[in-house]
Amino acid sequence: MILIHCPYCDEKRPELEFTYAGEAHIARPADPSTLSDEEWERYLFIRANPKGRHNERWRHSFGCGRFFNAVRDTVTDKFETTYKAGEPRK
Amino acid sequence: MADALLRCEPVPAAPAAYSGVTITLAPPMRRWSLRAKSRQALETHLGLSLPRKIGETLGDIACLGPDEWLWRAVDVEPKETGAGLPLSVVDVSERSVGIILEGHAARAMLNAGCPLDLERFAVGRMTRTIYEGVEIILSRESETRWSVDVWRSFAEHLLLSFTTVARNR
Ligand SMILES: [Zn+2]
Repeated sequence: MILIHCPYCDEKRPELEFTYAGEAHIARPADPSTLSDEEWERYLFIRANPKGRHNERWRHSFGCGRFFNAVRDTVTDKFETTYKAGEPRK
Repeated sequence: MADALLRCEPVPAAPAAYSGVTITLAPPMRRWSLRAKSRQALETHLGLSLPRKIGETLGDIACLGPDEWLWRAVDVEPKETGAGLPLSVVDVSERSVGIILEGHAARAMLNAGCPLDLERFAVGRMTRTIYEGVEIILSRESETRWSVDVWRSFAEHLLLSFTTVARNR
């Protein structure tokens, strides 16, 4: 099992305590009603889906409960780093 | 409230002894969920010191998250719930059932379903974690005594899991 460093608990915890929550740094449009259907579709459904380095959200659901961000390689499944929600992209 | 606190179903009130571990119902306890962005605001409000690091306990209070504490004690009742303040003090006494696992095999038994490294889990620590898919609050009260708080509706399932492991050791 992978051990994931929770930036809030500041320790490595077993993967079973965490849940994946999709690509990180997707900002909700400030005024959705001004968007075209294509723009709204892009916000809701279209993701980078890279082969390799990926900034993504995780939640320490069975721990401190907090959402945070991680950089994980989608090929090797290795976590490069994790950082608190609200911090700039790494 | 008193009646509800004494309700222990579905965990039997009588201790169950197995090889190396005894499974007992924890004494009735009040539980308060304390939430605030600012620890100092809660400390001022309650007139108490709160643990600073996640996982640590101070007196009867454990820090479960960056803005979350759990106050468990046999008989406590904060005077004010903090209405109007940027914090919350919520009575969650009835939500959980406490189960005590005691004995030299208790740690191994817990690790049958909990992925945390319990050998390095120090006495006095408390954390939210998982046992076979069930959310639990786990604390180590001594080298061989562990306490598990579980939401009431999951208790029967968890207890069955515990006793199955204990029987088959
Ligand atoms: Zn955490």
